[in-house]
Amino acid sequence: MQHKLMYFHSKTILTIVMLLTFIASLFSVEWGGELVHAGGWTTMLQMIQGMLQPDFSLEILKLAFMSAWITLAYAVAGMTLAVLFGFVFGVLSSGILLKNRGASHYAVKNFFRGMLGFLRAIHELVWALLFVAATGISPFAAIFAIAIPYSGILGRVFSDIFTNVPEKPLQSLRANGATRLQQLLYGYLPFAAPDLISYAFYRFECAIRSSAIMSFIGLGGLGFQIQLSMQDLHYDEVWTFLIFLIGMVMIVDLWSQMLRKRLVA
Amino acid sequence: MTASDAITIEQAAKRYGGLQAIAPMSLRIKKGEVVALIGPSGAGKSTLLNMLAAIELPDTGTILLDEKTTSLYRNPKDLAKKAGIIRQQFDLVGPLPVIHNVLAGKLADWGFWKSLWSFIFPQEKQAAMKALERVGLSDKIYDRTARLSGGEQQRVALARLLVQNPEVILADEPVSSLDPARAKDIIQILVSLAKSENKTLVASLHSLDLAKMHFDRVIALRDGQIFFDRKSDTITTEDLTQLYQLTEQKQNAT
Ligand SMILES: Nc1ncnc2c1ncn2[C@@H]1O[C@H](COP(=O)(O)OP(=O)(O)O)[C@@H](O)[C@H]1O
Ligand SMILES: [Mg+2]
Repeated sequence: MQHKLMYFHSKTILTIVMLLTFIASLFSVEWGGELVHAGGWTTMLQMIQGMLQPDFSLEILKLAFMSAWITLAYAVAGMTLAVLFGFVFGVLSSGILLKNRGASHYAVKNFFRGMLGFLRAIHELVWALLFVAATGISPFAAIFAIAIPYSGILGRVFSDIFTNVPEKPLQSLRANGATRLQQLLYGYLPFAAPDLISYAFYRFECAIRSSAIMSFIGLGGLGFQIQLSMQDLHYDEVWTFLIFLIGMVMIVDLWSQMLRKRLVA
Repeated sequence: MTASDAITIEQAAKRYGGLQAIAPMSLRIKKGEVVALIGPSGAGKSTLLNMLAAIELPDTGTILLDEKTTSLYRNPKDLAKKAGIIRQQFDLVGPLPVIHNVLAGKLADWGFWKSLWSFIFPQEKQAAMKALERVGLSDKIYDRTARLSGGEQQRVALARLLVQNPEVILADEPVSSLDPARAKDIIQILVSLAKSENKTLVASLHSLDLAKMHFDRVIALRDGQIFFDRKSDTITTEDLTQLYQLTEQKQNAT
């Protein structure tokens, strides 16, 4: 009882500290009139006009379609690598393949946890800049820039999903003589699959956005086109490209919902 | 005559935090014995069965399965041949179809690739079918396990145990969510399996009638201790009244 009470208190204290930090941060923002700069209002108006009348000329649509395709291709390739690595690292850092809870168990777990932390410490945009600087503008720069941090993020979340699988059925599998790999197959995966898939899809959406943004630095794709049109102040074109981006994200979301429904049904 | 012991418990004890779930106890169960475990809830029946199945290890003392200490069974496959357990529901992999849960009883015999392959083309389907027929569930073979009722899930767990076919069968309230007729059926399956193949059976039950009717020996637990250990035909109503008599809960003292 004493223990539980202490635990409860320490949680409440932590919550209060976090709330105070949040409130303090609100005061450190300057809420002055400078939030929107002088010429800002006219630009904003132009943007709204563009939103109401996007440029749907055949030429722009074709361009948008091609760029969307490139953006999607980078995202798919990057995510495929990230899911593979994230899965392997996630399994290893969750410790579910490791036998006893000895020192070596924690050493292995922490090693892979550390690796995952390292992978996701650096933002994909920074990776993209580094790769472009090193290898020039190439699709690989975009693909690896997505794959590296996303492996780290997926691995971390996959690992948590695996450790949250109900314990009792796994105990029974062990009592049935299942090895660790058999437990992964017959226990961890069936329980974790819906969550793994829906999280991977959510990350896939993020990868599409990242892939679009990354093309700002010269790698082809929707972001690159958005940047060009912005420079020319063609906001109606910008909106066409944005609509393609939004459309892609929405399609991925629908697809993931359909898949999840089938798995959970 | 330890040579014929299926289970030997020597001063085994288990604590959960400040709570003594099993006080140091010693006990012998011979091969082929059919034993019921009774006692009020919280008496330690599940804890004892989990220790016999080596899911939990005793804090002190030893538990021997067929002469070998449970903590020394390094290979889970050897252990699975010696002892198998059915517990209450939540013990199955809900998202999998019934057949895979039943075939999980074969995992001790299968290597990794065979188990992987079996996901697509269920292997040794005959064995699974036979076990499911025995528990009266052959029509649910491809149903998603989580969709089954509590009682049906208990029967799936029993089918898995039949497929696993261990020497010592442990059952933790195997009939708790079944109707009386079905409960009797399932107990008969367990007991006749044990008797016909000279297996050892230890089952915890809350129905005293079933315990007295089908089991040779009854061990009563209370507060983590053996309250009595008798042949089932010598148990009197008075024994049972005493066993289930309410006393103030000593455990909460710490
Ligand atoms: N994992 C656990 N953690 C903490 N206490 C437990 C745990 N398992 C059992 N207990 C406690 O140990 C005692 C014996 O429980 P159990 O063996 O489940 O009894 P029974 O099966 O006879 O009802 C109970 O008081 C229970 O609360
Ligand atoms: Mg119990």
